[in-house]
Formats: sequence, structure tokens, C-alpha cells
Amino acid sequence: MALETLAFVLASGLVLGGLYALMAAGLAVVWTTLGVFNFAHGALIALGAYIAWQVSQYVTGGAGFLIGAGVSVAVMFCLGFAMHYVLVKPFERHANLVLLAVITTLAAASIVENSILLAWGPRDKQITPPIAGKIEFFGTAISTHDFVILAVALAALLAFALFLRKSTTGRAMRAVAQNREAAELMGFNVSRLFAMTIGLSASTAALAGVFVGSLRFISPTVGTDPLMKSLIVVILGGVTRFTSPIYAAFIVGMAEAFSAYFLGLYWAPAVLFAMMIILLLIKPEGLFGRKTRTL
Amino acid sequence: MSASLLELRNLSGGYPPVSVFRGVDLTVREGEAVGLFGPNGHGKTTLLKTVAGLIDPWDGDIVFAGDRLNAEGRMRPRTSRHLNYDLFRKRRISAEAVVRQGLIYVMQGNLLFPEMTVEEVLDIAPQAARGRKGTKQMRDLVEELFPRMRERWRSKIRFLSGGERQMVSIAVGLLALPRLLILDEPTLGLSPKLRIELCDAIAKIRARNVPLVVVDQNVEFLTSLVDRLYLFDHGTITQEIDGNEMPSHEEVMTMMFGEAH
Repeated sequence: MALETLAFVLASGLVLGGLYALMAAGLAVVWTTLGVFNFAHGALIALGAYIAWQVSQYVTGGAGFLIGAGVSVAVMFCLGFAMHYVLVKPFERHANLVLLAVITTLAAASIVENSILLAWGPRDKQITPPIAGKIEFFGTAISTHDFVILAVALAALLAFALFLRKSTTGRAMRAVAQNREAAELMGFNVSRLFAMTIGLSASTAALAGVFVGSLRFISPTVGTDPLMKSLIVVILGGVTRFTSPIYAAFIVGMAEAFSAYFLGLYWAPAVLFAMMIILLLIKPEGLFGRKTRTL
Repeated sequence: MSASLLELRNLSGGYPPVSVFRGVDLTVREGEAVGLFGPNGHGKTTLLKTVAGLIDPWDGDIVFAGDRLNAEGRMRPRTSRHLNYDLFRKRRISAEAVVRQGLIYVMQGNLLFPEMTVEEVLDIAPQAARGRKGTKQMRDLVEELFPRMRERWRSKIRFLSGGERQMVSIAVGLLALPRLLILDEPTLGLSPKLRIELCDAIAKIRARNVPLVVVDQNVEFLTSLVDRLYLFDHGTITQEIDGNEMPSHEEVMTMMFGEAH
């Protein structure tokens, strides 16, 4: 295998890994904090992309992309915040909360996807990447935009991690995740912190959506495939620490890039699922996981 | 006689449909320490959790510093196999509101937040008292009471011993600037040395005139600390003992279980 080919596959694996890390971190934070799995995450990715696309229709060029991304992230935070009160909180005291949340979030995914279809129509859209040009990477030309995506995704994750570790609100969110009763006794508004968690998760989904939308064409179901990949990432990496799904995301990204190149695009999901099943047999709590779930 | 700070009137509650305590009348006056003694499994913790706002009371009043904390009237237990009444049911008391009033409950055997460091936990603790003054002095008091916490500053809570965890729990309670501090079995399951250390700390908190409600299994410790002692048995208060006539451990046992305990 030529060096250029290897470099190309590596680079695409890195970019994929960055995107998956962004999506999976959002999923994992909701799972560890609320104990429910948000199946609407994929639909949020799609909606985030559409909102950014809509804004970039009014404001063209690089500014349009930036403003679009900003608006999308802000709108999706509010939507995620509201989602907690509609989808999760009414069933909070129900014994089958986890199962009910699966259904409510699946319902939300369906509603969001069909609303997108209604509002924007079935024709595929694309967000124009703001940065043109290519850079040399070990003999192959990689688009600069890809590298910017990777850098911004990593920066966003770093900011998220710092928020959780250093800020009072972030620490309160972790506290609620680890011991809800004790957090209540410290006077925290648990519902609001839960809602903020889903809001932040939706914001990362929006950012991922903007990036996906500038790499591929966006359709109402654009989030389905990333949701599945993030699910694999979360299971593969475990959720013990904030960073565990991030490492796993890069492993999955690389595995996908390599298997897509050597086995063909259609074999990539099969390879990923096979990896996941084998890992679950050997180490059920995930590559970087312990048995407990925390944040 | 000074004004009453916390007043429970005919309070009853439990985990529907199981009634755990009923007809509880209890008063804590300003600046007073009150003990609660009774056998395990008779509802002391459930009662205190209800007062702290974690569990909805069924009936009765919780009045703190003149303000009523729980919703008025009886709770109507409505259950259905077909409908989700939780959708419409409102909480009858909110832990957040209780804490904001300065009524602080330190849970029994509190696990706190296993993956957070001591520093992080103590950093968010004063959030409960946001907008009130005195956090600085309280930080100093906590440092003075539990000097060994400094050594574990960057340890995660799950690596702490039971006693250290209890100290962090009490420190968290203090940093919320309590107008009344409820300690639920603070010395449960501790080694004798740590027990003495913790009892000392609680006595020092008492010396600062922080009103206390203390639950403990050790009558001697309770009688040395409190002004009044309530005996709690079978889900209700059976006797109130005034400070001047504090009984010994044996006498209390006889009062509660008869001669042949």
C-alpha cells in the first residue's frame, strides 16, 4: 500500500472519528446523567443541519456558515431543554422510565424528521463549506475544510469537558448524574439541570449536523446513520469517563475508513457491528469502561 | 421561651401505600439542639427525608421559621393500572425550596458523588446558600473542624473512608449555611477513633449555636449534646424528655422496651 493511500485513509478516518466523537459524547452525557438513551439524537443532527442551511441561504459565504452554525447550536439547545420536560420528565417516577424514554425519543425522532420533510421538502441540500482549498498531507491532498472540522470538533469537546469539570453548573450536572438525592439535598434544581444536559447534548448534535451537512448532502434522515455509529461508539467505548466514547470514536472512525477502503463501503457497518459484538463478548462494560455509569 | 424554628404538626407519611409514620408532633426552638432516638426500621429516616422534601408528606404541617413548607391538605392517594397519574400529580414539597430556606438534612451513610473530588464537592456546596452572607466564615469553620480533609482535597469521594465521607457530608451541610441542621446517624458504622473525632466536631458545631436535630443510636452522646430528646417508636413520637431529666442509656431502653429488653 502506497504511503499516499495510507495517509488518505488515515485522514478520512480522523475526520470521521472527530464527527463521531462529537455525536457520541452528546449521547453519552445524556445516558450517564439521565439514565435514558436519546434515540432522537439522529433527528437532532438532521434538524441542526437544516437550520444552519436555512440561515446560510440568507447570509452567504463564510459568515453565513458561522452564523448558521451559531443559530443552529443556540436553537437546538432550547429545543433539547424543552425536550426534557416533554419526553422524560412526565415519566420520571414511572418504574419503566428507560423503556418509556426509548419510545418517547423514538417518537420525537419520527416527528422531527417528518416536520423537516414538511418544512424543507424531500430535495437534498448542502451547506457550502466556507473554506476552500486543499493542504498537502503526506503526499495526498486533503481539503482544508476537513481539518478545520476535526479541529473545531475537538475544541468543542474540550470546551464541553472543561465546562463539566470546572464550572459550577457543570459540576452540579455531574453531581446530579452521580447521586440525584444528594444533589436535591444540596438545593439544586434537578429538572433544570437534566434539561440543560439534554440541551447541551442537542447543541453538540447541531454542531455535528452542521459539519455533516457541509460534507455530504442533507436529507431528513441524514442523522440515522450517524446515530447508529454513535451507538456503536458508546457501546464500544463505555461511558465511565467523558473521554471514553471519544477514544472509541476515533477507533470506530479508523475502522470504518480502513474497511471502506479495503472491503468496500457497504461492508463498513458489518465490520463495525462485528467489532462491537466481539468486544461485548469479551469486555461487556466497553473498552474503557467500568461497571458503573458516571460522568 | 424562644420562638419555634421547626414545627411538625400531626405529620404523617410513607411510601404509598405503606404508611411509615403518623401523627408526629415535633418542635425545635431557635438555638436549640434536639435528639431523636429510636430503634432501626421504625421510620426516623423516612420522617426526616419527608421534612427535607425528598418524599411527599401525606398529611399534617411542616412549618419552618414561620413559613409552611408543604402543600396544604391531605394527599389523595390515586393510583390506576390504566392511567399515568404522575402526569398530573404535583409534588407536595420541594427539596430545593426547603434547602433554600436553610433547613439542611445530612443523609445517613451518604455516598455523595463517588466520581467527584472533595474539592469539587465543597466548591458546589455553597450554591444552596446563594445570595446569603456567611460562606467565608463557614469555610473557615469547616477547615477548623475537619483539618484532615485538606489531605484528601484531590481524592475522589469513592476513595474516602466512611468517616471521611461523613465529614465531607457534614461539611457540605454546613456550607449551605444551615438555619437548622439535621444529622441522621452521623456516627453510624465508624471506628471508635473517628467516632470520637466526629462527636467532637458535632459538639463544636453545637457550641456555635447552630440549631440541630441529631439522630443517633448512642444515648450518652445524644444526652450530652441536646437540650431535649424525643423517643421515636413504631412510626410515632412516644415521649419527650426535657434537658434537666436526661436519662441514661439503660433508663431509655427500659422506657422503650420495658424491663426485659
